[in-house]
Amino acid sequence: MEAPPVSVMPVTGGAINMMEYLLQGSVLDQSLESLLHRLRGLCDNMEPESFADHELVYLLKGQQGNPFLLRARRSLLHPPAPWHLRYLGQPEVGDKSRLALVRNCVDVSASHGLPEVLNEMGFRMDHEFVAKGQLFRKGGMKVVVSKLSRVLVPGNTENTEPLSLSYLVELSVLAPAGQDTVSEDMRSFAEQLKPLVHLEKIDPKRLM
Amino acid sequence: MQQREEKQLEASVESLVTRVAHLKGSLQSFIYKLENEYERLTWPSVLDNFALVSGQLNTINKLLRNEKTPSYRSQVIIPLLLSPDRDEELAKLTEQRVPVFSHEIVPDHLRTKPDPEVEEQEKHLSAEAARIGPEVAQKQIQTLNKLCSNLLEKLNNPRDDRDSETSALRQNKPSFNPADTNALVAAVGFGKGLSKCRPPGPAAPGHPGQPMMSAGPTLHQVTVAGASGHQPGMGGQVNQQQPGQPGKMPSNIKTNIKSASASMHPYNR
Repeated sequence: MEAPPVSVMPVTGGAINMMEYLLQGSVLDQSLESLLHRLRGLCDNMEPESFADHELVYLLKGQQGNPFLLRARRSLLHPPAPWHLRYLGQPEVGDKSRLALVRNCVDVSASHGLPEVLNEMGFRMDHEFVAKGQLFRKGGMKVVVSKLSRVLVPGNTENTEPLSLSYLVELSVLAPAGQDTVSEDMRSFAEQLKPLVHLEKIDPKRLM
Repeated sequence: MQQREEKQLEASVESLVTRVAHLKGSLQSFIYKLENEYERLTWPSVLDNFALVSGQLNTINKLLRNEKTPSYRSQVIIPLLLSPDRDEELAKLTEQRVPVFSHEIVPDHLRTKPDPEVEEQEKHLSAEAARIGPEVAQKQIQTLNKLCSNLLEKLNNPRDDRDSETSALRQNKPSFNPADTNALVAAVGFGKGLSKCRPPGPAAPGHPGQPMMSAGPTLHQVTVAGASGHQPGMGGQVNQQQPGQPGKMPSNIKTNIKSASASMHPYNR
């Protein structure tokens, strides 16, 4: 993705060059328990964090004709918590030597006025969904197992409908650019979840 | 004949000593790791250590069961000389654990009978066994046998169940569905399958009644729409319809938004 317009570049100092390394997969509802059980064994010794988030994806059509995307998330379990704004760059999937999908990632927290600010800036909401699930950690690795639901009535997160009979499983690491060794760790971790879940490097463009 | 047996005994004791030394070494390093590196120790390496120890115990067992190994049971050790003085050679051999071969420790180290307390308990038990009649004993044996066979049955059966369950899981029931994976990844990636909707609340200022996003461009469509967005005529027309846009926005962004929704919106046609 082209550099975003200057007006929306976040001023976060050094955190701008963080890359997200990502592997994705899914697990059927009936096998969820086995997966959670295995994750509890493999991950750091802690209770997994439960979450229920409402994600709103905002779109700004840039000068080059490429849309510029921002993801705003809020917690449904802790409404007073700050919103979370995330920019994800275009995934670099072409490089075969890389074992995981790599993309630029900028995270900032935001106040509750975020939707209005984005609206004023010319962003428009493209779609929204609710993700409910659990978060596991192993060192720097994050494993998110979540159920995605579509929002039937815009803005009403009470009225949702599951997207599929599976849970989305994502294994991700945030690391500075160029630290490709993390993807090897991710691969070996993903190997331990087989055959329950196959975590893969999936190019979203392939699915468009 | 006797000489050959002696040689055999010596060789077997020697190999036993080296095996035990190996076992001791791996136990020592394992204990060291547990005590000093427990923070970094990973579960797989703990399992490796256990496997090593269990393998070494197995080889020792095999060695003892080997036909060529003479029966140690028939060998008798007699203390020939006891001395209260420190014996450096002995201390070295035993790694400073047994520095003297004295009257005090010999009974402990060369003991072939159980400890006195154990002997006492055993005596007590045999006295009790002698007291109850053979009939009662028979009954107790029967009860115990029954209990044991019941327990064995319970232990064996669930194993079958479990085996069949896991194999069924492996063969018949896949735990994931690649189509679902694709659908979910597409949904988080660019909102495929999620309803496109207008933002909640009142419509954006300056666009009364105009459903900006209800059928607005999806991410996918925008790429196409963006390319056509540079057509000057369309852009200009759209600009006039948008008096309420913030002044700071670059004009061509507005153009794109409008041209996209204008060209893709089914109701505007």
